[in-house]
Amino acid sequence: MSVIAIAKKDFRDAMRSWVLIALIVLFALFTVGGAYISTQIAGLLGDAGDQPLDILFALQTPASFLIPIIGLMVGYKAIAGERESGSLKFLLGLPHSRRDVVLGKVLGRTGVVTVAIVIGFAVGIVAIFGFTGSFSLVEYLAFTLVTLLLGLTFVSIAVGISAATGSTTRAAVGIVSLIGLFWLLWGFIGQLLLYLITGSIVPEPPMPDWYLLYSVIPPGGGYGLAADAVLPTDGQFGVGMLAGDDVPFFAEPWFGFVILAVWIIVPLALGYWRFSRVDL
Amino acid sequence: MATIELTNVTKRYGDTMALSDLDLTVRKGTIYGFLGPNGAGKSTTINLLLDFARPTAGSVRVFGHDPQDESRTIRKRTGILPEGFDLYDRLTGRQHLDFAIESKGVDDDPEAILERVGIAEAADRKVGGYSKGMAQRLALGAALIGEPELLILDEPSTGLDPAGARDMRTIIREERDRGATIFFSSHILGQVDAVCDRVGILRDGALVAEDTVEGLREATSAKTTLRVTVDQVPENASEQLLTYAGVSEVAIEDTTLVVSCESDVKTTVLDTLETEGATVQDFTTEESSLEELFMAYTEGTEVRT
Repeated sequence: MSVIAIAKKDFRDAMRSWVLIALIVLFALFTVGGAYISTQIAGLLGDAGDQPLDILFALQTPASFLIPIIGLMVGYKAIAGERESGSLKFLLGLPHSRRDVVLGKVLGRTGVVTVAIVIGFAVGIVAIFGFTGSFSLVEYLAFTLVTLLLGLTFVSIAVGISAATGSTTRAAVGIVSLIGLFWLLWGFIGQLLLYLITGSIVPEPPMPDWYLLYSVIPPGGGYGLAADAVLPTDGQFGVGMLAGDDVPFFAEPWFGFVILAVWIIVPLALGYWRFSRVDL
Repeated sequence: MATIELTNVTKRYGDTMALSDLDLTVRKGTIYGFLGPNGAGKSTTINLLLDFARPTAGSVRVFGHDPQDESRTIRKRTGILPEGFDLYDRLTGRQHLDFAIESKGVDDDPEAILERVGIAEAADRKVGGYSKGMAQRLALGAALIGEPELLILDEPSTGLDPAGARDMRTIIREERDRGATIFFSSHILGQVDAVCDRVGILRDGALVAEDTVEGLREATSAKTTLRVTVDQVPENASEQLLTYAGVSEVAIEDTTLVVSCESDVKTTVLDTLETEGATVQDFTTEESSLEELFMAYTEGTEVRT
């Protein structure tokens, strides 16, 4: 009850933010761009293969890059911003618990990211239809749902950080560090380890198990696996293709949902734990 | 029955002592004015009542509940106007009240509340464009939702013009007459003495005085300083005057006597001096006002955050 009231209020409030509208427009542009480029490439190669899947593959790139950023941007001020401005005093002056606030914020902000994803992908559908004259609705919907899960994951991470810190500056530092870690450092360190251990930068698959595990740990790794779980992609999105015949359980598509669930629950639990104990 | 009860409450922020061993009782159905300079610990006390902060030691009870365990139960029955709050700039006044009504699970009419706090014409404007006084009125309106049994108002007159402050006092009285208990803080005496049934003065995290407004006023107006200039001071004037119960102190500076006494012995003092052979050339009296008492209690305190 309380959670829903907060989520509704928060959604209304955040939807009126210009930054958010700019992010939605940006994401829509990327999906159209992705759809265009992929259909062009398919056309050039004269590829008569599974076109809708190719297009989804093309959409995965902007989605796996932009949705995390949108999720983090939408979420990082959720609680720290209210603490900083003092509106949290108004919010907690009403009969809401701090847990209601954390959960309500996650719901409300996830609603916002959902709007971004739905608009972006709806525009994408229209574009694909315009370029190719066809698309696969079922696969498109499945891909949209998995992407929503990715959005929820990053909103949870951001709200967790926001709940744990008292200032938006520190929350911003937190999310920028996270982006730096997962977008730059993680892949680089992985490559470095791979080189040190196998002596080759691009070894032939199958990759060693430790590298597969290392690759699925970030939320993006979980997203790839989860996409493979709901689409007939043959492990193209996740690390499945890199594994040998004997695929370890953590490189199987279903494990993507486990990874995402951990990334949703743990940051929120830690953030709430800190937030519930602090003097406001 | 006590609506609010603090017993031996201490609150430390790092090395700073915000409250030390505070005892405070607010009885049901009264208007309690919580008075003190900025930094005395008023907001800290209120934060403890709302579970925005937790006490270092001591017990806090609101309606007999511990805010740390049953904060929601308390806040369901309480209307709160916090200090230093902010609202949601992108939402309208009406949307704020709708949210508060939904949060409290009641079905009040936002229109009537907006009317009551005097911002009905701004109902559908975004709060980002409100003045400080309008935001204060809106937050008060939100606090009034659901006819709470207790109203906690932290510096409620902040940002209000004199007319706004008067409206605020009217609403506070109406709420008390409805049966609510009102606990409000202020650093300005003038806002408190007109409406309060009881006043507590906080200084450096401790209660230094507590009484009814009349009680405090009597206590202070009783104290008078009488300065009498005579042609010559009678030899045993000091001893003579100190025999009266109402005279507490006599100091002699040349031909002037400075007598601390209660108001009703002023003429007796003058008569006695005349009887002893002195001629009164001039005299002044200094009555200490409630304002002076407040200043005396609170001046010299350091501003703490």
